[in-house]
Amino acid sequence: MNKIVLIVSCAAVTLLPRIIPYFASSALSKLPRFLRKCMMLLPVAALGALIFPLALTDFSSQWYAGLVGVAAAFICSLLKGPMILSIIIALISTTLMLLV
Amino acid sequence: MLKGKDFTEGVKDGFPIFLGYFTTALAFGLLTRTSGFRFVEGVLTSMITFAGSGQFLMMNLYNAGSLLLSIVVSVFFINSRYIFMASSLSQRLENPRSVPGRLMCGFGTVDEVFTVASFKGHKLSYSYMAGLILTSYVGWVSGTAIGYAGGTFLPEVVQKAAVITVYAMFASLLGSETRRGVKALLVASVSALINSLLILVAGLSTGLSFLISMIIATITGALIYTDEEAGIE
Repeated sequence: MNKIVLIVSCAAVTLLPRIIPYFASSALSKLPRFLRKCMMLLPVAALGALIFPLALTDFSSQWYAGLVGVAAAFICSLLKGPMILSIIIALISTTLMLLV
Repeated sequence: MLKGKDFTEGVKDGFPIFLGYFTTALAFGLLTRTSGFRFVEGVLTSMITFAGSGQFLMMNLYNAGSLLLSIVVSVFFINSRYIFMASSLSQRLENPRSVPGRLMCGFGTVDEVFTVASFKGHKLSYSYMAGLILTSYVGWVSGTAIGYAGGTFLPEVVQKAAVITVYAMFASLLGSETRRGVKALLVASVSALINSLLILVAGLSTGLSFLISMIIATITGALIYTDEEAGIE
């Protein structure tokens, strides 16, 4: 298989779905109210599926290390900790869990 | 024109993404080398595609000896979520008309950029988006190059633990949203639960499963949030 053809076609099917909607944005803003509401709520709906189950399965048999890291970051930010602190705490707790 | 203050803010917000991407891309770079790609081919993949899961999927299928067409179709399916993410983010731009601005945002609409930008809580300037996207992009491309050239020079446990960076970022965004209203946690739990069931129990592919979970959770959200809470006028 020609690798350049592979790389360029995969890039195309990645970039087109991302770019085209920006050029349809005025049509999108005229959608019915309910659909516009859906678009605004998409980020929070995406968050759950972006975290689970991959944050656990990425660590295969040590899935609990992922769970502890995610929980630590979540609690830190609930207590108004800045994002970078959440990340540092998650990194430390996940590393510790991987070592035990 | 580029506004320095907004750009710097974007760079600052992009720093956690940089960390997560750099470490993930080290592994990607190494994977391209062990798969028989030349250095330029590995780096080119990250430069023109700029997508985590899609690129790993491409390499896995390539190594499994899949046909070109089936690789391209699979990559499209895992990326189809971006149609929704880009549509959503396009509604939050300060000046939705600029062509280069829209091209840049489209190129840079990856999961992490999408979530960080979406939760800014105000209209997004292109200067801010440029800072955010450029920082993430530099992490992704440089990580690929270094991973190819040097392998993953980080100690094994650090490399493994670094995977948590992007998930910690998502969890932190979810924590802040939950502080603003507990409905956020409810909506996110719906998508987390459905996605876990579809992948772990039903054995669906990640791309399709993500799309289904995201759509169901979004509709659930639209039913339980008021228009004002959702931020539409």
